[in-house]
Amino acid sequence: MALTLHGTVTDNQAGILRPRKNITPLYMNGDMAVAQRGTSFASLSSGANQTLDRHGFVVNEGTFTVTQDSDVPTGQGFGKSLKVDCTSADTSISSDGVVQVYQRFEGQNLQLLKKGTSSAEYVTIAFWVKSNLAGNFTLEVKDQDNSRLIASQVTISSADTWEKKVVAFPGDTTGALTNDNNLSLQVTWWLVAGSDYNSGTLATSWEAQNNANRAVGNFNLASSTDNEFYLTGVQMEVGQFDADSIPAFQFEDRATNLARCQRYFERITTSGSGDSFGAGVCFSATQGRVDIRYSTVKRANPTITFGSASDFLLQAGNKSQAPTGLSSAGSSLHGFFCHTTNSGFTVGHGCVLLDNSTADATIDASSDL
Amino acid sequence: MSEYKLYNNSLGKPTIVCRKKDMAFIPMSEDNTDYQEYLQWVAQGNTAEEAD
Repeated sequence: MALTLHGTVTDNQAGILRPRKNITPLYMNGDMAVAQRGTSFASLSSGANQTLDRHGFVVNEGTFTVTQDSDVPTGQGFGKSLKVDCTSADTSISSDGVVQVYQRFEGQNLQLLKKGTSSAEYVTIAFWVKSNLAGNFTLEVKDQDNSRLIASQVTISSADTWEKKVVAFPGDTTGALTNDNNLSLQVTWWLVAGSDYNSGTLATSWEAQNNANRAVGNFNLASSTDNEFYLTGVQMEVGQFDADSIPAFQFEDRATNLARCQRYFERITTSGSGDSFGAGVCFSATQGRVDIRYSTVKRANPTITFGSASDFLLQAGNKSQAPTGLSSAGSSLHGFFCHTTNSGFTVGHGCVLLDNSTADATIDASSDL
Repeated sequence: MSEYKLYNNSLGKPTIVCRKKDMAFIPMSEDNTDYQEYLQWVAQGNTAEEAD
């Protein structure tokens, strides 16, 4: 049987002889398919905001809407992209101005990079990008444990056209990533950078953090309300690759992708009216204690926030009543006790916490980085 | 008014800090980033409201 090679022999060797060292993608939700918090995040003008799963958005210039969009590169298998849309422009960027899309990583998931050793590995980041704004933006890899970083200027060559970018960063022989569940590394797309971040020389080699060298030559996505920036198909590979040798994007099935995201954030909800969140006991006439379990073990003991208490219903015996308040107690990596504020229940009765049908009742458990 | 309030567990021990602005219930766990922010707030000389 004849074997036909496409491309150069070297390129095919790269794909055949260099299998991935990681079984699952290092970069999570790179196809932007999971959006537990919602699909649209409007009026973002300050602070660090969580958007599509595993994707943060920092902003202090202009106003933006981040959405899960269906505009994707043709024929690549992607169904969703992350869209950043400028809704209020700012043409006078302050010195500390910043707009970024980022993902953060636990150190224990990146030990295969061997950072801080003489065997430190290259990291290659590939992604699809589209913007009306042709020009340069910055892709940065930042070691949060040791305050070191490296950056690359990426060019959008043609406006309003999906382009695939492949950026290889050499390994860093200085500064090991701490082998635990805390933040160690951040990958950032700089969309706006004030003079505090662009007045030096871009850090194209690993160096100690010097803010002036972080986003030199960056365009200003806040310059017009016409501006938008799309991102999808993000992959992070161990090793040095180029556009010809980069391995194919690792598509994950929905359940796997969701479960990996839920390590950092899980929205607990039901299918509708009368569905159960969990069972417990009436600890007093005014308090139900209901055990809630997570679908996925969390990175860290998570922060719990509830939707409106009136969207829930505490039921014990033949009595049902919407709580007037909800709180958490006994929280762990696996679940927590939901304490309800009610009245007129009988101590010791078993109870269940239900969806009250008035709206979609939700409980958010967040252990994001 | 304090930005945070302590909540006790079933044994009467404070194990949760409530961030009042969004009623987020934050466990006293040092790898929780919200708790890290709370500790910074305390380090600035602030004090959370005692549990009921």
